[in-house]
Amino acid sequence: MAEFDWPWQYNFPPFFTLQPNLATREKQLEAWRHLILEYHRAHKMHTLDITEAQNSPLFYNKSLKRKLSVETIFVVLEDLRKRGHLEWLDKQHQRCYVYWRTLEEWGKLIYKWASKNGMVNTVCTLYELTNGDDTRDEEFHGLEMDVLKKALQALENEGRAELIFFDENEGVKFF
Amino acid sequence: MRRRVGGVGAIQKQQLAQARFRNKGSEIAEDQLQQMTKQMEVFRTKLQEFASNHKNEIRKDPYFRCQFQEMCATVGVDPLASSKGFWAKMLGVGDFYYELGVQIIEVCIATSHQNGGIIGLDELREKVMKSRGSKKRQEDITQDDLLRAIDKLSVLGKGFRLIPAGNHYLVQSVPAELNMDHTTILQQAEGTGFISLMALRRTQKWGEERAQNALEDLVKEGMAWVDDQAKDEGERLYWFPGLLQDKLVSW
Repeated sequence: MAEFDWPWQYNFPPFFTLQPNLATREKQLEAWRHLILEYHRAHKMHTLDITEAQNSPLFYNKSLKRKLSVETIFVVLEDLRKRGHLEWLDKQHQRCYVYWRTLEEWGKLIYKWASKNGMVNTVCTLYELTNGDDTRDEEFHGLEMDVLKKALQALENEGRAELIFFDENEGVKFF
Repeated sequence: MRRRVGGVGAIQKQQLAQARFRNKGSEIAEDQLQQMTKQMEVFRTKLQEFASNHKNEIRKDPYFRCQFQEMCATVGVDPLASSKGFWAKMLGVGDFYYELGVQIIEVCIATSHQNGGIIGLDELREKVMKSRGSKKRQEDITQDDLLRAIDKLSVLGKGFRLIPAGNHYLVQSVPAELNMDHTTILQQAEGTGFISLMALRRTQKWGEERAQNALEDLVKEGMAWVDDQAKDEGERLYWFPGLLQDKLVSW
């Protein structure tokens, strides 16, 4: 795993206790939002599992002996969800997508890549987009299929792409 | 015995002498005044000469600057009284502190959302130096310069205040009403960056309510963060980000 640049708050013990003062809490949540998104971006992760997360270094600073309680993790995640950076995968709220880019941003990035590489008006498979050699250096390489589809749907709504099903495959055509 | 009464002539003589004395007196006073004015004139030109000759040193060399300040203080001149004043204009010293004041305010505003408006003087100095760093040669800024500049900032109202803590200073840059209890807490927390209710009561011999209220006030002002996971202390700790910056990874 790449060396991650932790923000100063990560070494500040009270960061792991939900702050009673609302103004301070707002700063705390802002720092958590930022940290969670950066952490997932740096590790190219797109999903978060609540059970696993409790022992992940993200929420548990072992050297400081401080961890974010489950209740507080939920507060922080809910805050992310409200801002469009998170979506629950199940009703029990055990797993979620973490969008360190919003779906619109993903859509734009993919479209930019397509137009730069002359893929407009041709069909690419979805697998090719996220796992193909051509996209190895792109940020959306390794994007989860579901997230990719949602991002392409966002493009579809703008009339810049169309999702296509053929044989057993799924593809997309850019306009 | 019959007392001798002075004649008219004697009285006139006496009056004449008195008048002469008066004249001589005011003559001497005028002389002195003239001399003084002349001296002042000389002093002023000398000081001007000195200042314009050493303008660069005054700006660049903190030790020189400090000495110059002391010299001015001895003769009762405050070159910082106003940036528009004669001295300031002549010496450009006012500008130096005026600039420094603005930079201090900038740093305090930029960091206040992280430290709640409390910053150590050393850290402030580091950050101010960094913000001046774009200039080709880094000018050294001393604690003395900062204290002078902050002192001048106090004319802006209650917004800026120096809190002595041990052999350090804390700079308060938010207009919070800090009373003696609050300052005491900050001073006690200065070494470690945190404090607990028990520790505070132990050292200050305060009642629980008094200590609790003072701590809560600091939380309300956004200067303190609470930490409920301190296993060793076994009680809530109150942390002050403004007192900790050198210990945390710098942003």
